[in-house]
Amino acid sequence: MIKVPAKTRLTLAALISAAFLSACDKPQKEDKKDVEPNTAFESTYKAHSYHPVLIENATILTAAGDKIDKGSVLFKDGKIVAVGTDVETPTDDNLEVIDANGKWVTPGLIDVHSHLGVYPAPGVDSAADGNEMTAPVTAEVWAEHSVWPHDPQFELALAGGVTSMQILPGSANLIGGRTVTLKNVPARSVMEMKFPGAPHGLKMACGENPKRVYGSKGRSPMTRMANIAGFRDAWIKAADYKKQWEDYENGEGNGKPPKRDLQMETLAGVLKGEILIHNHCYRADEMALMLEIADEFDFLISTFHHAVESYKIADKLAENNVCSALWSDWWGFKQEAFDMVPENVALVEKAGACAIVHSDSPTGIQHLNKDAAKSMASGNAMGMEITPEKAIEWITINPAKSMGIGEQTGSLEVGKMADVVLWDGNPFSVYSKAEKVFIDGALMYDRHDEKYQPVSDFQLGQYDFDVEAQEEAAL
Amino acid sequence: MSLLSTKSLAKSVAAALGVASLIAGICSAETTLIKDAKIHTLSSQGVLQSGDVLFEDGVIKAVGEDLSVEADTVIDGAGKVVTPGIFAQITQIGLVELGSQEQTADARTEHEEQGASFSVDKVYNHNSTLVAVNRSNGVTRTLVAPQVGSTVFAGQGAIMSLKDQYHPLIAKDVAIFTAFGEWSAEGMGGSRASVLFELNKAFDEARLYQKNRTAIEQGDFRELTYSIADLEALQAVINREIPLLVNTQRESDILTMLDFAKEQNIRIGFVGAAEAWKVADQLAEADASVFVDPMDNLPDSFESLGKRYENAAILSEAGVKVMFLGQGFLATHNAYTVRHSAGNAVAYGMDYDKALAAMMSTPAGYFGGDETYGQIAEGYKAELVLWNGDPLEVTTLPEQVWIDGEAVSMENRSTKLRDRYKDLDTDKNTGYRK
Repeated sequence: MIKVPAKTRLTLAALISAAFLSACDKPQKEDKKDVEPNTAFESTYKAHSYHPVLIENATILTAAGDKIDKGSVLFKDGKIVAVGTDVETPTDDNLEVIDANGKWVTPGLIDVHSHLGVYPAPGVDSAADGNEMTAPVTAEVWAEHSVWPHDPQFELALAGGVTSMQILPGSANLIGGRTVTLKNVPARSVMEMKFPGAPHGLKMACGENPKRVYGSKGRSPMTRMANIAGFRDAWIKAADYKKQWEDYENGEGNGKPPKRDLQMETLAGVLKGEILIHNHCYRADEMALMLEIADEFDFLISTFHHAVESYKIADKLAENNVCSALWSDWWGFKQEAFDMVPENVALVEKAGACAIVHSDSPTGIQHLNKDAAKSMASGNAMGMEITPEKAIEWITINPAKSMGIGEQTGSLEVGKMADVVLWDGNPFSVYSKAEKVFIDGALMYDRHDEKYQPVSDFQLGQYDFDVEAQEEAAL
Repeated sequence: MSLLSTKSLAKSVAAALGVASLIAGICSAETTLIKDAKIHTLSSQGVLQSGDVLFEDGVIKAVGEDLSVEADTVIDGAGKVVTPGIFAQITQIGLVELGSQEQTADARTEHEEQGASFSVDKVYNHNSTLVAVNRSNGVTRTLVAPQVGSTVFAGQGAIMSLKDQYHPLIAKDVAIFTAFGEWSAEGMGGSRASVLFELNKAFDEARLYQKNRTAIEQGDFRELTYSIADLEALQAVINREIPLLVNTQRESDILTMLDFAKEQNIRIGFVGAAEAWKVADQLAEADASVFVDPMDNLPDSFESLGKRYENAAILSEAGVKVMFLGQGFLATHNAYTVRHSAGNAVAYGMDYDKALAAMMSTPAGYFGGDETYGQIAEGYKAELVLWNGDPLEVTTLPEQVWIDGEAVSMENRSTKLRDRYKDLDTDKNTGYRK
């Protein structure tokens, strides 16, 4: 991808958020004040350059509804050029043709819930940077400012076929801070990983965690009722802050700009539809309360995360157009995770709501395809007929939509980013592995070529996991 | 389930599976025949591609390609797979309900007299939610173990059946658990050297106790650090009757503990064992077994930077006995997913049969009891699972589980919640009807 000047990128971001979030066109008064947007921390991501690639004879799951047998995918200059059974081989000396007989191709996997970089490995206290547990509302902090690009877990996720992910602050706080969407590429700064044009998210958390963290310090919230009060209090302030700026921009008031407040800027960004809500919320009854708050303050909730009880209110989630980000079968590590059913993902799908399989785990992120497979099998055992071409959506296009990047990536469609995984077999099998992973058309990982196996600064010189030795062991 | 008679349950199982049920005379014991299934016997019979298994009175009577016998219950196993039940290693099943709520957990103690002697089998709760969930998902027995914490020794392991009865003990005090590494050092003064000092002291005292038992019990001996109960518990380790299982990750720590075991002349096994693959040959030579989580490749501490998925394959190839742990912090509630971990071990090079054995027959051999469990062979316990496909595959599910020849209920709290909510706005979920 070509680097575009900051101004252009901003416009692009604004366009994208307008298109996907909510239109906020307002009649503009003549004396409207120009507010120069902040350009700090903008994405400087650049796709690696790579030659055109044609993958032939593959079983393709497009995540746009199709399963194509003996199909081809052609990509060039970072974009998907053609997908189907009648793709012509272009005459291009640089073209690499991969015979994928017996192999499968999917879009790059996307994890909507990860803490890579903010809780890096090794997990020493001095690197645990994911939870600002000093106040229940810390909307002012941004996860990206904690991301350590050399977390060796990024490269493990890449070997699992993950090309994009959302990094969130932890769930200690009611409002934990801004999330960031990253491309899973080696980088010297987080700006070089930031997904161009992706909107920020805002992490919120229901239930046990905030009340335990602050209750144990003898302060509010100590109960679920105080959780709700804490949310509402924050949104009242945010609505007021938003109005102050709108008044200023419309030339009303005393003509002086309101004082910037980082916390309020984030919350007002949500109210303006520019920042997406990602809400850790296990229980159905609490999700229902959160929908009331969203209604009261007129914002949308993009996704409930760890929504173990989504199946109880799947109809309501469909009505409200809220995604559920789920595990296949995690349960019992706390009370609010007690009512797990392995059919959760399938039942959300059945209700016509947006279902996502997420990890929240540096191990799980390496196996998203298998977690989706488990959910598919549980749904089918219940009598549903969930196909691989449907289940792949749970780990590609649905999380992409949830994160506001569904127009750019998440499916194999002409013109989209060439984020592509070549699997050595059916990705919904425990024995299958990602063989090649392309990000924006560039080969970023190859299981059989050490040259394409990134090693973070941290892992450098620690252990040499010799590829040949690995393959020898695998015999 | 306990309200159902064996016969009616067998019938309902047969009906559920859509098979013919041939009810014989009421005076003879119930016999069950699974026909035409792929059977992983884990015995010298190997894999039967289309085999039959007959069991009666909880015991397997015959296994073969084409048994010409009749039975009270006949199950068509065509296209399906039979294995022994999963023997889940080092869990807290029956000892915990909610991971985050200590009042629901009995797997650790800070009682000062209970270290090596801390034994949990008597407080195992057979009605725990976790028992039914794991049982209906193919786990038929488990090694319950105390959690390693701030004391030198966590305590004793016990093997429990997952059958629905009070205190379903199979074997008591089969191993003593300890840890050597970052965490244990933190609880023991701050250095691994202090942990080693403490371990040596404990075993020295155990030997003193062995030689001076009467004097110590009567108080005619110098004061010892460890309680009599703990010193008593350690006798089985110094007599080499049971192993000391050490939670250790780092290569150098594994080697240090191998030296320790040699000096103390005790049997040793390793739990976690992140970097064990580096010393696979030494472990094989010392006949030290390992318990690994084949889903864990995270360099998540400075003592486990060499962790990798090929650990199980490399160790197994070197001749080390490998057994599988469950997945991280889900190892207890989701103990049954160890079969997917086994699949990952195979994906990263482990022999399929050894991977299956690692959660069935290998631990049976290690802890004793492999003359009754862990294989599908005549005279063995009918502790079986019928799967709708390859048991290591993520798209496979169990269809029926038997413990001691009895078909167990495949229902649990989770299946009931599913049935309540699978169709929304029925009186099941709007009125909480059962």
